[in-house]
Amino acid sequence: MDTLNELLNGFAAAMTWQNLLFAFLGCLLGTIIGVLPGIGPVAGVALLIPLTLNMDATGAIIMLCAIFYGTAYGGTITSVLLNTPGEAASAITTIDGYAMTKIGKAGAALTIAAVGSFVGGTIATLGLVAAAKPLGELGLLVGPPEFFALMVVGISLLVALAGKSMVKAVISGALGLLISMVGIDPVAGAPRFTFGMDRLLDGVSFVAVIVGVFGLSELLSYRKGDQPAAVHAPNLRSLLPTGKEWLRSAPAMARGTGIGFGLGLIPGMTGSVSSLLSYGAEKKFSRNRHQLGKGAIEGVAGPETANNAHANAALIPLFTLGIPASPTIAVLMGAFLQQGLTPGPTLFTENSEIAWAIIASLFIGNLILLLLNVPLVGLWTSILRVPSSILTALILLFMVIGAYTINFSVFDVFVMIGFGLLGLALRHLDIPLAPMVLTLVLGPLMERSLRESLEISQGDFSIFTSRPISAVLIGLGLLIVFSPLLKLRKPKALNEDPET
Amino acid sequence: MKTRLRLAAALAAASLIGLTGCGANPGATGAAGAASDFPKKGKSIDLIVAFGSGGAVDTAARLIQPVLEKELGTNVEVINKPGAGGQIGYTQLTSAKPDGYTIGATGSPSVVVSPLDPSRGAKYTRESFQPLGRQVIDPTVIAVQPDSPYKTIKDLLDAAKANPKSMTASTTGLQTGEHFALAQLQENTGAEFAPVHFSEGASQATTAFLGRHVDVLVANVSDVNDLSKQGKARVLGVMSAERAPSLPDIPTFKESGYDLTAGTARGYSAPAGLPEDVAKKLEAAIEKAIEDPAVVQKMKDLGLQTSYLNGADYKTFWAGQEEDFKEVLPLVQKKD
Repeated sequence: MDTLNELLNGFAAAMTWQNLLFAFLGCLLGTIIGVLPGIGPVAGVALLIPLTLNMDATGAIIMLCAIFYGTAYGGTITSVLLNTPGEAASAITTIDGYAMTKIGKAGAALTIAAVGSFVGGTIATLGLVAAAKPLGELGLLVGPPEFFALMVVGISLLVALAGKSMVKAVISGALGLLISMVGIDPVAGAPRFTFGMDRLLDGVSFVAVIVGVFGLSELLSYRKGDQPAAVHAPNLRSLLPTGKEWLRSAPAMARGTGIGFGLGLIPGMTGSVSSLLSYGAEKKFSRNRHQLGKGAIEGVAGPETANNAHANAALIPLFTLGIPASPTIAVLMGAFLQQGLTPGPTLFTENSEIAWAIIASLFIGNLILLLLNVPLVGLWTSILRVPSSILTALILLFMVIGAYTINFSVFDVFVMIGFGLLGLALRHLDIPLAPMVLTLVLGPLMERSLRESLEISQGDFSIFTSRPISAVLIGLGLLIVFSPLLKLRKPKALNEDPET
Repeated sequence: MKTRLRLAAALAAASLIGLTGCGANPGATGAAGAASDFPKKGKSIDLIVAFGSGGAVDTAARLIQPVLEKELGTNVEVINKPGAGGQIGYTQLTSAKPDGYTIGATGSPSVVVSPLDPSRGAKYTRESFQPLGRQVIDPTVIAVQPDSPYKTIKDLLDAAKANPKSMTASTTGLQTGEHFALAQLQENTGAEFAPVHFSEGASQATTAFLGRHVDVLVANVSDVNDLSKQGKARVLGVMSAERAPSLPDIPTFKESGYDLTAGTARGYSAPAGLPEDVAKKLEAAIEKAIEDPAVVQKMKDLGLQTSYLNGADYKTFWAGQEEDFKEVLPLVQKKD
């Protein structure tokens, strides 16, 4: 009952016209990012953080969350119409989505994808509502040692699951920690790694680093050949699927929701694993499995539901435990921190009004996404007709403006460019970028909780193993890191996913 | 087809550029034209709070914010920059342009002491701030868990004397008011606690206390007001000359036989070097906001006694505090 009350209060807060506008703009911008092939969700969200820096915390987070799950839908459009996925999680949709386009059923495919995204996203958000209260109440049990142990688990998962080589993932993670150390020591106040430059006292700007490492480096490694094929005018005559198509989609959506929700809860899993698995499930269990690959609606409904359920479910560990499940969520977490909110168990004790308003807005946003996307499909595809030379130049312009507006300083623009070059180098060396973003966000929190823990124990490290919750968590972290030795395999799809 | 293409591109560009424009931060657009037309319409003023949201500094700043907006006729945005016991926010405040568009909440002793200790490498001194007005003095209190065996401050201090460092006690950061209070206790009574520095502020320290991760909560009256009423903390003593009006049943330290006072004084300041008329305008608006009857009442509800001082008097008070804290600073400096 209490939860319902707080959720309703959250709805009241989320329904102000400003917050509705932010949710709408977020969905719109998120869809654009999803549609644009040159820019992924991580860089997209990072790029738009500067826009929100001067908003109030609730509005800013509502908008960034909307951008985040908007990207999960935007990628579908290009998958279905152009056979080019806008982002990795929609790659599998190309098979049946594009096949449907070829037989003149693009409208039905996109509508089903939008409805599936709505269903998956909404059910996953209900999961967040159910989990928030009980996990939020555990918040007080989580003291500094437990908090530190949670961070260790989060980092272990992402390091273990990222890229092909764990050594390279560790290098990337260590780099992120190093960068997070720049600035005033958060406890004792002494400047660190500032090389006497006053500009570095406040640390390296997180937004500039992310935009550089993910956005600029992606743009720099974007080759001419990557330009998508010419757009065929989509046949949108019938947007509405037939009754039979609805009936066929329902079980696929149900399976997709289950898969996306389950995998979304596991940090380190990306949306593409969910959509791949969901496609696999359709191949095994669907009544029309023999039609898959030839334009079966299940091949769109399942994966598209799964990747949105995944995106929304991935917010659960962020809100309740403070663990970002993917690089995009790590960037989102960075935005929370910039707004003075610490995601995690204490969020519901210290900022419960804002937390519930954001959760309510997730429901609203999923609805907006549904209403926004079906009628505007024509508009999205026309963005793709802009030649990539113009598009990339525009995106580059936004990156420079974005970096500049963080503090209105040219210094941040150079930081962005410098980290763009670093990102390019890391890409060439095949070093995954995800662990670096994660440790960059978690570094200061880890340092703080580590030092507080050691003050509580007066310097005794056994505090991490003598308290049951942190002991279990630390053990879990070690197990994850050493899992390759135990021959536990990770899903193949993660090796290929550019987001990791 | 062509028009649609252009439309789409224009829409995408316009929505982004439009938003960037809205988000424009006036803080850095130069001190030009700062004089008589201050504050320019539509140009917002940043109020930097050097502690996390939910603490007393933050709450007070958010209370005066609407009145300030009304007085100045422009947006005032509260920005939390927690860390290093206030030093991160103070650094940002003092490195902003003195054009009136950046002001900040300043609390002593943190703001007074951080530049005195060379090991902190603070980039500011007392002269880097232009005090605009003092709002409150918030006395320090000592509280324990509600089921703690210690019923009086004497019980607690005797136990901490018998077994030094057997109990942990929270502070809001190294060399903040709470840290000084602990050091003074140790110096005067021999009772020794193990300090745990929650360098982002009181809300973080209180959460840790409620989760029983620290034994003793050292905080201000306003932090424990609600906790005490809800029975979540047993307040043992107030370190002020007289009992706090919001906690009438709690004895002062003096009543318990320890002649010690400690507290946090909070006000608002700008980076030094404001044009005179800008300073005047800000000072007047801040006075109005602090003395606003509704604000005073809300502060009272939180257990905070408004005690306004104007800019000049706040400056004198600040200088006096600097002298006082210089003497006790060695108590809280790292000995290694």
